[in-house]
Amino acid sequence: MRIGIDIGGTHTDGVLIDGKNLLTAAKVPTVHGNLLESISHVLRLILSGHDPKMIDTLNLSTTLSTNAIVTGRIEPVGVLVVGGPGIAPEVFRIGEHFHLIPGSLDHLGTETTPLDKKRLNEAIVDCVEKNVRSYAAVAKFSPRNPKHENTIKQSLGDKADFVSMGHLVSGNLNFGRRIHTAYYNSAVWRTFMTFSTALVESLRGFEIQAEINILKADGGTMPLSRALENPVQSIFSGPAASVMGILAMVPSESDVLILDIGGTTTDIALFAGGQPLLEREGISIEDRPTLVRAIHVESIGIGGDSQIRIEDNTVMVGPQRLGPCMATAGPAPALMDAFNVLGLSHFADSHRSLEGMEKLAHGQELDARQLAKAAVDAAVNQISSKIDALITLVNSKPVYTIHEILEERKIEPTKLIVIGGPAMVFKELLHNRLGMEVVVPPLHEVANAVGAALTRTTAHLALTADTATGMVSAPRVEVFRSVSKNYTLAKAVEEAKALLIADLEKVGVAISAEAIQVTQADSFNVVEDFYTVGRNIRVVVQLQPAVMSALDMTKVDIPVINQS
Amino acid sequence: MLTAKSSLGVIFFPAYDWAISETHPEREERLLYTQDQFREEGLFDIQGITEYRPLRASDQDILRTHFCFPTVGDICTESHRISAGGAIQAARLVMEKETQSAFALVRPPGHHAMKVVQGNRGFCNINIEAVMVEWIRERYGRKKIAIVDTDCHHGDGTQDVYWHDPDVLFISLHQDGRTLYPGSGFPNEIGGPKALGKTMNIPLPPNTSDEGYLHAIEQVVLPILADFKPDLVINSAGQDNHYSDPITNMSFSAQGYARLNEMLRPDIAVLEGGYSIKGALPYVNLGICLAMAGCDYSNVREHDYDPDTIREQEDTMNYIKRLCRQLPDLYFYPKPGNYEKEAGYFVREREIFYDTDNILENQREELRDCDQCSGVRFVKSRAGWKQACYGVELPWDCCPVCEQEGYARFHQKNDGYQVFQMIDRKNKQYTYR
Repeated sequence: MRIGIDIGGTHTDGVLIDGKNLLTAAKVPTVHGNLLESISHVLRLILSGHDPKMIDTLNLSTTLSTNAIVTGRIEPVGVLVVGGPGIAPEVFRIGEHFHLIPGSLDHLGTETTPLDKKRLNEAIVDCVEKNVRSYAAVAKFSPRNPKHENTIKQSLGDKADFVSMGHLVSGNLNFGRRIHTAYYNSAVWRTFMTFSTALVESLRGFEIQAEINILKADGGTMPLSRALENPVQSIFSGPAASVMGILAMVPSESDVLILDIGGTTTDIALFAGGQPLLEREGISIEDRPTLVRAIHVESIGIGGDSQIRIEDNTVMVGPQRLGPCMATAGPAPALMDAFNVLGLSHFADSHRSLEGMEKLAHGQELDARQLAKAAVDAAVNQISSKIDALITLVNSKPVYTIHEILEERKIEPTKLIVIGGPAMVFKELLHNRLGMEVVVPPLHEVANAVGAALTRTTAHLALTADTATGMVSAPRVEVFRSVSKNYTLAKAVEEAKALLIADLEKVGVAISAEAIQVTQADSFNVVEDFYTVGRNIRVVVQLQPAVMSALDMTKVDIPVINQS
Repeated sequence: MLTAKSSLGVIFFPAYDWAISETHPEREERLLYTQDQFREEGLFDIQGITEYRPLRASDQDILRTHFCFPTVGDICTESHRISAGGAIQAARLVMEKETQSAFALVRPPGHHAMKVVQGNRGFCNINIEAVMVEWIRERYGRKKIAIVDTDCHHGDGTQDVYWHDPDVLFISLHQDGRTLYPGSGFPNEIGGPKALGKTMNIPLPPNTSDEGYLHAIEQVVLPILADFKPDLVINSAGQDNHYSDPITNMSFSAQGYARLNEMLRPDIAVLEGGYSIKGALPYVNLGICLAMAGCDYSNVREHDYDPDTIREQEDTMNYIKRLCRQLPDLYFYPKPGNYEKEAGYFVREREIFYDTDNILENQREELRDCDQCSGVRFVKSRAGWKQACYGVELPWDCCPVCEQEGYARFHQKNDGYQVFQMIDRKNKQYTYR
């Protein structure tokens, strides 16, 4: 049996699932400052009448790291950066203890300026004086050669409780993002570690002996031991958990759009052929781009409580929210009130909705009903143009081969899955506007916990080989070794898969080579002075997000225990 | 985070699945390290710098620009259509005001492809800038356009395409043709009888470095541009003036390239040559992008950059200064050349060698000296064993007499020619017979 828990900003949701069957579901308030209490609360409810020893997996999506960052409850980080020529590394300054250490590597990983040990030691002394215990070591082009980052870690020795090294946070290139990612990783590490220790202790109290996984923003999980090395990967997992939950409830092999319509915003995600569309390089934290892989979610300021107003004779909806809609005693007419006036919904006090809309329409050249219709049209139009923009974006993403330009499949969603409070009201409207099949699954209030329970481990590994210089590197798993002239693309793909399997085996996750997806496999002739001197090989493999099994929707008619 | 002062669209298309041949400089690997550098620098994380995919040039886009003999399919592969499509995308971004400027970082290049194309010359099959310029003029009407070719080789193809066109100012800066392929591009090449002074050549001596090159930009190119007042400035941006380039002898640096683009302020840049793929391109391309976007590029330099070792000798610098004093006169006070004329037609007879494909073309061009319009043009082209080809071009302002004469010859009896192509700019018709 599997447990999925999603700690959200307001609610903590939990489900217990056995194979395809949902056994129990519960919703409790999130107690900020004591997340364990929320976890215990929800566990007590969903485990009631079930043997905790039967639980083999507990997956947890938590806002712990996100909240720590947003509320500024993070620890100071000594950021030791080795830049070199290019965009000035000063641009990426972050935190109070940012130090630039002279030294440089080129794009092949060749050391072109040795690391300035004297300056490094001065920086360390400065950080130690200011009681910094957590560090980030990042060098430009470190995924090609980790030498400088390793030297920094060695120099720190026991002066650091924790060091995030750039080449380990992702095998991908992007210096600025690597700095930000390593910084945040070190900044939330202690918070996460403290939480994790308490969590393990608490689960022991419940006699749960399950493997524990933490949700990531890419819709997959990582084992708790991995999360302790990479706590930053646990940020923004909530929306990803919802998306995966919906996929478990409405399995879709074709291209589908997922809309989560809330009070203030509508979130839009896209699945192409069963795969979620990910952010190209990674998600941003506090407007700083990182290398944290994440499901791409487009947000638009349209929700049930979006304010309706008239400007220059045009009816506008959102993105402002002045409070709840008038039907629930809010201050100004909102989208939900428009639905009430049109008879599309009968939410709370429809009379108040009508009163508010009539007041707003007063003195204009339309009545309350016309105003409501215009408001609903405006909302649907906004959602529809955002969807069009998302589809255009995904179909116009850069490609680098002639083959892709000529042969690439166009992504054309034909189905829309809608969840959230006003989902049912939007069903017909969106169907008429977009001409797509629109599905509103039941049980959507715990989709996030279902997604958490049913999603599986994801992982990603980049391998680069240059047979001219005789090096193969897979930075994230710390492989930097020499390679012979006859190393081929096929061998590289095989090695990348084997490394990914071994990497997950280390933390107790068994996967087969067949489950691994190869997202890049390129081999370039390296020519010098008109003679071929070797091959430059680039391989990227991944275990993509997927749900373990689809939920049996004929058996989900169980009450959600709501103590929120 | 960095923000661009001026928004820039970058069409990055490395064509990772196309090469002229396995070890040819124009091969799959060429932009690989540039992409590594872009990714590591986070170029597309800069607010205002956006990456785009190329469009694809259609048959009409190509036939509007070139006499493609014997067929488009014979000259063009998909790679050429997409490379030209990359340039068209750059133009679209700028013309539609989606971005303030755009850089088509695409391959293969095109600036050695002339008006008539029978095969590949100097790694080029079709002229991607010219295809782009004609796409612009077809959609957005008559424009004054300046093309500044900063590739190390003379842009003989672009020069030929616009030889008779007074609306297009073509300026090529290159290593002196006496020392490098294609062996042309001398100051006395100033344009055809209808476009005198609208072609400018600035042959620079070998080992010219940043100071000399930028001196030519400042003293010759900028004053001429200020006078010509183009609607669009296009940089035909080859990168083989670099000190590490394997097939040329110049000493330009990434800093120099960035400064050059800062001075020139091109609306559109299109990659041409440049084959120091590890030592130069990653830095030069980064420098150009940052300069075009108005970002600080002062820290962009090659790992082995040493301005003192690459600086030009005093003699070289003096030569450049002398040259730059004389050149502007060729634009401001052009002297008509000794153009051959037969029965009211300006005539050029030439042999053109397609080095990559080893084809020798015999070409005769006739341009009607018309006082009503720019004049109908005829070309007769024979290349070795290939079919004899006949091309007719009617200008955008074609008068009835030229139009009638053009169509009469297009429909004439075969007269030994097997292929006939019409470029009718007036009625926007581009067809083979």
